[in-house]
Amino acid sequence: MPYSFPLGPYHPALEEPFKVKVQCKGEVIESATVEVGFSYRGIELLAQKRNWVEVITLIERVCGICSNTHAMTFCLAAETIAGIELPKRAAHIRTIIAELERLHSHLLWAGVGAEDIGFHSLFMEVFTLRERVMDTLEAISGNRVNYGMNCIGGVLRDIPDPAAHLPALDALAKGLGEVVIPTFTQNPTALARTRGVGRLSREQAVEWAVVGPVARASGLDIDVRKDQPYLSYADLGFESVVRPEGDVQARVVVRALEMMESVRLIREALLSLPPGPLRATQGLPEIPAGEATIRTEAPRGEAFYYVASEGGASPARVKIRTPSFVNIPAIEPMVMGQPLADLSIIQASVDPCISCTDR
Amino acid sequence: MAMLKTILGNLLRPSRTRAPADMPVVPPTYRGALTHDAGRCTACGTCAFVCAPKAIHFTQDPGISVSWHFFIGQCSFCGLCEQNCPTRAIHLRADVPGSTNSAGGDGLRLESVIHLQPCTRCGAAHVPLPAATMDALWAAGADEAERGYCPDCRRWAASARLRTAFTPDGAVAEGGRHDR
Repeated sequence: MPYSFPLGPYHPALEEPFKVKVQCKGEVIESATVEVGFSYRGIELLAQKRNWVEVITLIERVCGICSNTHAMTFCLAAETIAGIELPKRAAHIRTIIAELERLHSHLLWAGVGAEDIGFHSLFMEVFTLRERVMDTLEAISGNRVNYGMNCIGGVLRDIPDPAAHLPALDALAKGLGEVVIPTFTQNPTALARTRGVGRLSREQAVEWAVVGPVARASGLDIDVRKDQPYLSYADLGFESVVRPEGDVQARVVVRALEMMESVRLIREALLSLPPGPLRATQGLPEIPAGEATIRTEAPRGEAFYYVASEGGASPARVKIRTPSFVNIPAIEPMVMGQPLADLSIIQASVDPCISCTDR
Repeated sequence: MAMLKTILGNLLRPSRTRAPADMPVVPPTYRGALTHDAGRCTACGTCAFVCAPKAIHFTQDPGISVSWHFFIGQCSFCGLCEQNCPTRAIHLRADVPGSTNSAGGDGLRLESVIHLQPCTRCGAAHVPLPAATMDALWAAGADEAERGYCPDCRRWAASARLRTAFTPDGAVAEGGRHDR
C-alpha cells in the first residue's frame, strides 16, 4: 500500500532544516516533494539597510561553509559598479581563499556523505584531512569560518609567507590520493551504496537547471571558472572535471578530483603570488549609481549576484541566487524509483546548503 | 584493501587526538577579544559605522566626556573596527579567546571614557587628538600653542597662517573667532 513519509524538517542526516516528503510503495520511492524556507533570515532586505562596509560582514553570513564566496562575489559586483580594478596580488589571495574554501567544503561533504552510508571510519579520515585545510585558513585569515578577507577593492590580509602553507597541501594531496579517493572509488561498501544510485541524466540535468558538481557529474561541462574566468583562474589555468554517469558515485568522483585540482591551483597561486598592493582603494568605499551582475563558482556551483547602487551609503538591491537553490529541487527526479534507504545519501549527494537556499 | 592499509597505519601511529599542549599555533591575525585605548580614540565613530551587528556605540556626557561602549555578545569578530580605525585605538588581541560562554555577563561589556578637554583658545570642550597623532602632526614645526586647540580653532589657526602668507604685513584681525 502506498504511504507518504516526511523526512525533516529536523533532519536525521543533515544539520539544517529542510523537508523531503516522499510517496512510497513498499520500499520504493514513487515521488518526492522538497520544501525549503525553514531558516529564512531576510538577508537581501537587511542588506539594503546596511552600509557598503557592514553589508560585506552580513553577506559573509549567508552561508556557514562558502562564506568567502558570498562576500567575494558581492565585492566583485561592487568593484564592477565603481570601476575599481583589483590588484593582482589581491586577486591571487582571493583565489587561494576561494579554493581553500572549496577544499574544506568538499571535504565536509565527503565526510557527511561517508557518514550517510554508515562509513564512520572514512568520515574520521576525511575530517582529519579537513582539519589541515581549516588550520591553513586560520593561519591566513585568523578565523576558521568567516574569514573576513574581502573588502571592496581588494583583500584585508596578506599571505606574508606563501611557502609556509605548502606542507599542508602536500599532506592533503597525499591523504586524498592514498585514502579518500581510493576508498570512495574502490571500497566495496562505498561502491555498493553509491554506484547507480540517484541517477540524474544529462537531459534531466538540463531540465532541472542544476549547476556545479551535480551538473558536471551528469555530463554537463559547466564551470564559471572555465567559461567566464574571474580573479586569477585565467592565469593559473583550470581544467574542469566531468563525469557522464550522473549517479551518486559520479558526484563523489567529480568532487574528489576537483579537490585535487584545487590543491594544484592553490599551490600554483601560492608559488606565483605577485608583489603589489592588497587594496586598490583606501578608506571607506564610495560606490556610484549603477548595477552589476556577477557569477562565480561557489563550491556547490554557480553563485549569482545582482547588486544595484543608487550612489548612497547602502546598496539599493542585493539579489542572491545560490547554487543550492537550483540543486535542491533536483532531488525530486533523483529519488524516483530508488529505495527509501538511499534517500539520505541521494539528498546528501546534492550537497544541499540550506542556509544558502533560505538566505 | 585501502581500509586495511589505513588500519595498519593507525596501529603504528600515536593517538591523533591532540593533547592540550599540542595545539595549533594561534596565528597573529587571530581575531580575539577586543581592547580599546581611550588615549588614542578621537571618537570619530568609524568603528560604530563599520560594525554590522552594532556591537559598538557611543554615548555623550555633553561638555565632559564621550564614552565608547562595546558588547561582546553582539560582536561577530570580523575585525573591521580594527582595520578601519584611523588612530589604531582598537585592537583584537590574539592571546584571548574571541568567544566566551557567558555572553550576557557584565564583564563582557566594555566601556571606555574619553574625557573632553577645554580648548586653550576658545574654551570649547573637545576630544583631544591622540598624543602620537599630535607628535606626527607637530613634528613639522607647527606652533606648540596650537596643541590644545579644538578642531575649529585649529582650522582658524591654519587659515590665519594662510592669510598671513598672502598678506605679509601681518594684518590678521585677532577678533576673528569662529562662531559656536
